[in-house]
Amino acid sequence: MHELLLQTFLNATYAASYIALVAVGLVLIFGVMGVINFAHGELYMLGAYGVVAVYVGAQQSFLLAVAVGLMFVGLVGLLMERALFRPLRDNPLSGLVASIGLLLILQALAAIFFGVRMEHIPPVTQEVLRFSDGVSLPLQRLFVIVAAIVLLTGLWMFLKRTRFGWALRASAEDREAAQLQGISVTRIAQLAMVIGAGLAGVAGALTAPLVRVYPYMGHSVIVTVFIVIIVGGVGSLEGAVIAAIAYAFVHTFVTTFFDGVVADIVGLLLMLMVLVVRPTGLFGARDRA
Amino acid sequence: MKNLKNFGGSFSRRRLLAGANALSVSLLSSGLFPRLARSGEPIKIGFLAPLTGEVAAWGKPGLDGCLIWAEWVNALGGVKLGNERHNIEFVAYDNEYDPGKARTGAAKLIREDGVQFIMMLGGDTWPGVQPVAERSGMLVSTLLPSDLTPDTTTLIAPAEVHPIYNVTGVEWMAETFPNLKSAVICAQDDALGLPSLATYLAAFEAEGIELQQDPLLFDPATTDFAPIVTKMLSSNPDIVSLDTCYSDYVHPICEQLFQQGYEGKVISCTADFYEQIIEKTSKEFMEGFIFQFPDFDDPALNDPRVNFKDPNDFFREYNRRYPGEWGAVSWEYASIMDLWKEAAEKAGSAEPEKVLAAMKSGGKGAHAFGEANWWGREFFGIDNALVGNWPVVVIEDGKARVKAYKSIPDWYDRHGELLIRHMEALGQMYYQRG
Repeated sequence: MHELLLQTFLNATYAASYIALVAVGLVLIFGVMGVINFAHGELYMLGAYGVVAVYVGAQQSFLLAVAVGLMFVGLVGLLMERALFRPLRDNPLSGLVASIGLLLILQALAAIFFGVRMEHIPPVTQEVLRFSDGVSLPLQRLFVIVAAIVLLTGLWMFLKRTRFGWALRASAEDREAAQLQGISVTRIAQLAMVIGAGLAGVAGALTAPLVRVYPYMGHSVIVTVFIVIIVGGVGSLEGAVIAAIAYAFVHTFVTTFFDGVVADIVGLLLMLMVLVVRPTGLFGARDRA
Repeated sequence: MKNLKNFGGSFSRRRLLAGANALSVSLLSSGLFPRLARSGEPIKIGFLAPLTGEVAAWGKPGLDGCLIWAEWVNALGGVKLGNERHNIEFVAYDNEYDPGKARTGAAKLIREDGVQFIMMLGGDTWPGVQPVAERSGMLVSTLLPSDLTPDTTTLIAPAEVHPIYNVTGVEWMAETFPNLKSAVICAQDDALGLPSLATYLAAFEAEGIELQQDPLLFDPATTDFAPIVTKMLSSNPDIVSLDTCYSDYVHPICEQLFQQGYEGKVISCTADFYEQIIEKTSKEFMEGFIFQFPDFDDPALNDPRVNFKDPNDFFREYNRRYPGEWGAVSWEYASIMDLWKEAAEKAGSAEPEKVLAAMKSGGKGAHAFGEANWWGREFFGIDNALVGNWPVVVIEDGKARVKAYKSIPDWYDRHGELLIRHMEALGQMYYQRG
C-alpha cells in the first residue's frame, strides 16, 4: 500500500506538471487578451509534432526538438495574435469563434503533413529511477517535472521582477489604465501570445515521447485544461497552477483506487462544486495575472 | 382552375400505369436499389470504413489490402458471372467512425456509385447504415459481429468473430502455462472494449484464472496510462490482459508496464505495429506476448486448411507498397472479398440477395483460417457469423508467430453459458443492446 501511494504520487506529479504548463499558457492569453483560445490544445499538438519533425524526422537531439517546438509554437502564437485576435480585439466572441476555426485548420494541416495515425517516437531514454520495489520514475517523466518547475518559476520571476512582466500584469488587470500609463497593449498581447503558445508547445514537445501523438490529441488536453482554469479562476496564473496540481492529484488517485471513468466524473464534480461555492473559481476575482 | 380541369381531364388508367412504370424505372436508375453491372462493366464494391481519425488503423490498412486483392483478381480476369467476366472496382468512403457520415456514405455508395456489396468496420457506425441497408436490401459485411441481431438479415460477419476468438488465446495460454493463475484486465469503456471484456472474463473463469481486481475501465480520451498500470500492477498479477484496446492504447500501456517493472505475461486482442512497441520497451519484455493477429509471412499460414490465397506473397506485396503499415485488418477485408467472389461466381450474379444465398448455402463457408460454420443463432439471434478456427499468435525473438489454431465452436460448446452470463452482466447480448 505504501508503494502504491508513492507511485501514485509520482504519477500525479508528472500529470500536474504538464497540465500546469498548458493551463498557465491559456490563462495568460485570456488574462491579457480576453480571448478564450480554443485552439490552445492544438498548440500543444504542434509542439509534439515539432518533436516528430526534428527528433524523429531530422534525427536531431531531443533537446533541440523541444527548443524548436517552443520557438515554432511561439511564432504560431504571434501569427495568431496578428492575423486573428488583433483584428477581432473588440469582440471576444469573434476571437473565440476564430480560434475554433483555427483549431480545425491546424488539425487538418497536421493530418495532411503527418497522416492521421499515431506517431511512433522512440524513447529518449529508457532509464528509470527505482526508489523501491513498485516505486519508479522514468527519467523522461522526470524531465517533464523539472522543466515545468523551471519554466513556471522563470515565468513567475519574469512577471514579478521585470518591467515587461509588470506591463503584462497591468494589461491583464485593466487594459485601458495600462494604455494610459503608456503601455503598448498590442506589444503586450504579442508577448502574451508568444509565451502562452510557447508554454503549450513546450508541454507538447516534452511529453511527445510519453503520449499518443496524433492530429486530434489536443482535444483531451484542452478539456482537462478548461476544467483546471475554471477551478483555479479564469485569468489567475496562481489559480491555474494550484488547480492543475489539485486536479491531477484527484484524477490520478481516483483512477488508481477506482477507475478512469469515475475519475473523469469526479473531475467534473470538482469543477461544479467550485462553481457553486465560488463562481469565479478559487482565485478568480482577486488575483489575476 | 383551368389547370386542374386539364389535369383531371387528361388523367386516365393508362397514364397512371405509364406514370408508375416511369417512376419505377427512375427509382431503379436513381439507385434506390442496387444496379446490376452490364457485360464487361466492372462490379463496384463499397468500402465504408474509417480512413481518417482515431479508428483509421482498422479501416485504411484494410482498403490498402483490398486494392492489392482487386489488382490480383483483375489480372486473372476478374469475377466470372455466368459466361461474363467483370473486373472489381472498389469505391471508398471515409466514415470517420461517425454514424451520420456512415449513413451518408452508404446512401452515396448505393445510389450514386451503384455498388453491389459494402464492407464496413461496423461498431458505432452500423446503426447509421442499418436503415439504408434494410431499405435497399444491400449486402453489408462487418468486422464486428456484435452488430448482428435477428433484424440484420443482410449483414454478415464473415471475417472475424470479435471478440469471441479471444478465448482461443486464453485457452492456449492456460494449456501452455498452467502455473499462471491470476490476472488483471483493463479496457476502454466503449462498444469494442466491453464485449471483449466479457469474453476475457469468461475465458479466464473457464480456465480457473482468478481476476485479482475489478476490470479497470478507462475513458477513450485517456492520455496518461501510468495510473492505470500502477493500479493493475498493485495486485502483482501473473497475467495482464489488454482486452481489445486500440493500438493507440496498447503501445503506451505496454511502455508503462515495462517502465514500472512488470515481468509477467501480457495477453491482448491485437498488437498492431508491435515492432514499435519493442522499440519502446525491449525484445525481452515483449517475448511471449500473446495476441490474435498473425503476420502473413508466417509459415504456419501455408497450412492447407488456410483458405487465404498466397498469404506470404500478399504480406510481401503489402509491405512493399505500404512499409510499416501492416495491421490486424490488412488482410481481413480482402478475405471477405475471397468469400464474396466465390459466392458471386457460384450464384452467377452479383445481386446481393443471390450472393448471400450462395454464400450461406450448406451452412458452411471457406473462412480465411479454414472451413467454418455460419453460426450465431443463440449468441446474435441470427446465423450470420462465419465461425471456425482462429490463430493464437505469440511474439518470439521480436517476431509474431502462429503457435496454434484453436476452435472457437469447440470452446463455445464447452463454455458458452459462461460467455453469455458475462455478456449479459455487461449488457452486451443482442437483446440488451439499444
